[in-house]
Amino acid sequence: MKAFEYVGATSVDQAVKALTPGSSAMAGGTDLMNRMKDYVTSPDRVVYLNDVKELAGISGDPTSGVTILAGTRLADILASESIKKSYSALWQTTSDVGTPQIRNMASVGGNLMQHPRCWYYRSGFGLLPKSADGKHMLREGDNRYASIFMTDGDALYAHPSSLAIPLIALGAKATLIGPEGERTIDVADLYKIPVSNTDTLFTAKPGEILKSISLPASTGKNGSFEARHKQAHDWPLVMASASLTFTGDTVSDARVAVYGVAPLPWRSKAAEEAIKGKPVTVETARAAAAAAAEGAKPLTMNAYKVAMLKTVITRTLCVTVGNRYWEA
Amino acid sequence: MRDNASSSNSGNRRDFLRGSGVAAATAVFTQTAQVGMDEAAAEALAAQGVAVQSGSMKITLQVNGQSMVSEVEPRSTLLDVLRHRLDVTGPKRVCDRSSCGACTILLNGQSIYSCTTLAVAAQGKEIRTLESFDTGPKSVAHAFHQNDGLMCGYCTPGFVTACQALLEKNPNPTLEEVKKGLDGNICRCGTYVGVVQAALDAAKAIKV
Repeated sequence: MKAFEYVGATSVDQAVKALTPGSSAMAGGTDLMNRMKDYVTSPDRVVYLNDVKELAGISGDPTSGVTILAGTRLADILASESIKKSYSALWQTTSDVGTPQIRNMASVGGNLMQHPRCWYYRSGFGLLPKSADGKHMLREGDNRYASIFMTDGDALYAHPSSLAIPLIALGAKATLIGPEGERTIDVADLYKIPVSNTDTLFTAKPGEILKSISLPASTGKNGSFEARHKQAHDWPLVMASASLTFTGDTVSDARVAVYGVAPLPWRSKAAEEAIKGKPVTVETARAAAAAAAEGAKPLTMNAYKVAMLKTVITRTLCVTVGNRYWEA
Repeated sequence: MRDNASSSNSGNRRDFLRGSGVAAATAVFTQTAQVGMDEAAAEALAAQGVAVQSGSMKITLQVNGQSMVSEVEPRSTLLDVLRHRLDVTGPKRVCDRSSCGACTILLNGQSIYSCTTLAVAAQGKEIRTLESFDTGPKSVAHAFHQNDGLMCGYCTPGFVTACQALLEKNPNPTLEEVKKGLDGNICRCGTYVGVVQAALDAAKAIKV
């Protein structure tokens, strides 16, 4: 790890002032510390946010909307009864992130703003890793955990944030604060595809930090399901969240987001259109999942994700209406 | 200029660093990498009440109820300061990447990975390592011993600490809760059966 200057911010104002070019904001540190140790990211200055009291906490009510400040630890989300009851997609996903220690350290904002876990990136070859002869390392190399959508481009890693998936399905907004004040955008609009190895993954402007996440009022049902290698301390291979509103038994509106299949949190409009106007049964969920998989272009080692995507979306839609058919 | 403390215009910078609680030893500036911003920017930030710390600095940590003072750099991890500076060697360094759990400690009562925490950020917080835990007949450590919850023993301090953290939060864990509560620790010898039983037995023993 290279030496850096340290600012232990105690207010948002201090943090924003201290985040000059070349600085990195750090909350739990579970991503940035490892990137610094591996010389993937070597900031001149680290601005520590975890002691900023005005950045932590959960407020509001599911009937009108809930605000989660960006510094809130994942363990605090799990302790929230209202999130467990009304935003179970978010609660379930949070419960599956990392380990107890990581959930005690990591913040919501840090989870959303983490960098991809692609091993070429983490080994110092950049987000769009090319070998000396111009070959794309991930396309030609070991791409078992990479994307299956948007694979015509050069960004082939899978987007790393688990929490982005339920938040996008739930229609959450993100508020950023920086030198020019606050602005609020859809959570999905936090992210972009980098065009070069020196480009950023995020739409945040220099000096901006994530301040809060706002969940809209809970009006329907929501749920998440993830597939992973092992139960303990693992990343999802494919994970999905759905938020459904109903007229009677029929889905009137749907939002479905998927992890692990694209370099952005993947919103499956195809699955949403397919389930709208229908009740959620195993059959209609399977049809929506089949629609979601259309257009997937897996790489050389990850075609399994297409089949997994279908199973995960089917189960996510069924979980959302309380049907855990595969356990029967 | 920062790597040369005799430079004529380094005075403001050094005075500022002293003012923000940093030991401004000459040797420090010659040894640490040059980082960061120019003097004018540092002064502008200082004027706005933002303390920037770099080089070597003296910090005080509250470890197992004792105040301990150490000279660290901003990049020093809490684990390395505990082990190498303060001789608190219960937490172990294994993966050093928040994956294995051997470095687990309690920070303000929460289990965390000390390898992935900056020492400077742990100031003012209560640090507990397994050196401070009960080892009597109703303890987590005793339950590990009784259940053969270890083989080589290198993961054991981390497991005992994670187990202690789990039982302090949840004194009556189910088998599933024990598995989920200890899934941030790895034992390469594979003593999980003993570890899980130790956690369940310790929960019972502590209540008696």
